[in-house]
Amino acid sequence: MGSADEDYNFVFKVVLIGESGVGKTNLLSRFTRNEFNHDSRTTIGVEFSTRTILVEDAVVKAQIWDTAGQERYRAITSAYYRGAVGALVVFDITKHQTYDVVDRWLKELYDHAEASIVVMLVGNKTDLAQAREVPMEEAKMFADNNGLLFIETSALDSTNVEEAFETILKEIFHKVQKQKQRSSQSNTVSLASENPSSTAPAQAERRPCCVAL
Amino acid sequence: PARARHWGLIPVLGYSLGCWSLSLQEAIQLDGQILFSLLHKVSPVAYKHLSKQKIDPILYMTEWFMCAFSRTLPWSSVLRVWDMFFCEGVKIIFRVGLVLLKHTLGSSDKLKSCQGQYETMERLRALSPKIMQEAFLVQEVIELPVTERQIEREHLIQLKKWRETHGELQCKSPPRLHGAKAISEAEPAPRKALEPVPSIIVSPGPTPVPKARKSKEKSREKGPASPANGPGAEGNGAPGTTRELLHPQVSPHHQSKESLSSRESEDTYL
Repeated sequence: MGSADEDYNFVFKVVLIGESGVGKTNLLSRFTRNEFNHDSRTTIGVEFSTRTILVEDAVVKAQIWDTAGQERYRAITSAYYRGAVGALVVFDITKHQTYDVVDRWLKELYDHAEASIVVMLVGNKTDLAQAREVPMEEAKMFADNNGLLFIETSALDSTNVEEAFETILKEIFHKVQKQKQRSSQSNTVSLASENPSSTAPAQAERRPCCVAL
Repeated sequence: PARARHWGLIPVLGYSLGCWSLSLQEAIQLDGQILFSLLHKVSPVAYKHLSKQKIDPILYMTEWFMCAFSRTLPWSSVLRVWDMFFCEGVKIIFRVGLVLLKHTLGSSDKLKSCQGQYETMERLRALSPKIMQEAFLVQEVIELPVTERQIEREHLIQLKKWRETHGELQCKSPPRLHGAKAISEAEPAPRKALEPVPSIIVSPGPTPVPKARKSKEKSREKGPASPANGPGAEGNGAPGTTRELLHPQVSPHHQSKESLSSRESEDTYL
């Protein structure tokens, strides 16, 4: 796992949310450690892991945070979303109920996270295509209408897991670059803004987790 | 000890399964605040560090408290901690949490590698095996000067703060019972002491019982205390015997019936 002295240009905090059992923890472990656990236990509290990847010419350290989907462990909320610049809202394509509540997850996300957060809708478990309950077109349309990125993945057979994280990190990166151009502020300024509460209409680049070296 | 263990399970279950979502969230957040303010006294350095990085206690203590450290510590330490918890109550859980925080973030040396929130969280997820080692941890937990009274006082303070910021609690929990003794005192009468129950009960009437054995047993019961715990009585638990010696008011008829049935089951198996 990443140590503090690693060499990187940006740190992006990305959170995983969605109903219990949709495969958030396995998406995390597949992306960061290339592991999949068939009988993984339910998450209590938070788990997290990092992976450093190259986005265009920048070295980006992705801090992925994963939390319990179960309602009764939802005390985490604001502490969990603090500083996040990206979110994967995950549902299980074989369980329509997990897709029905995406709305609720989005609401919680926008209630607690910065408005500028990049959000991707992720339909997981494509390896169980024969049991599919959520048509891809339906989810894709929902994502388009709500301004979300969309992808279908399988943490089990690795399909699209890399792509999902790479896409969202790239999107965040572009957003940061744009912000940087717009506000002609230097990197040092973005670094200085350590206090999340002071960045009211937050720009991704000014987030404390988004450190430009 | 069996009894202490049995009743000790209630707080564990009550904590993790007790009420539904809202109250559970409240309970864990409240405990998080209590733990954090206790940390102020136990390790000001760790407290300051966590405050500075704005790390909400629920980010690291949810799993500790909800699973009573079973997902955190090595199994031998879990057993020791649970043993103490079942006997002495919830202060043990707080103390273990405080010891782990103190020894992970309690000196400027240790904080060198915890520059950001994420690094600190990572450190708390991957605790040093040394501090989780059974003997060390238990010693530290025993020596940590955090009492039930302090926890109760902190509980009231945090409860008051909670009401100011969040309003009334959704679920009013009964007062915390600190340990097996408090629990057994709080509910004295209706609960019978734990006692072994014969798994096979044979109706005493028609079954033929070897006479010699029956009379031998009776005569033993009448004698002084010692034989009841002798090798003869132990094998199958001889449930009636010990209890009856302690409670002579139980009717003699009942006595013989019970010891008879336990003898019976022994016979059946032998």
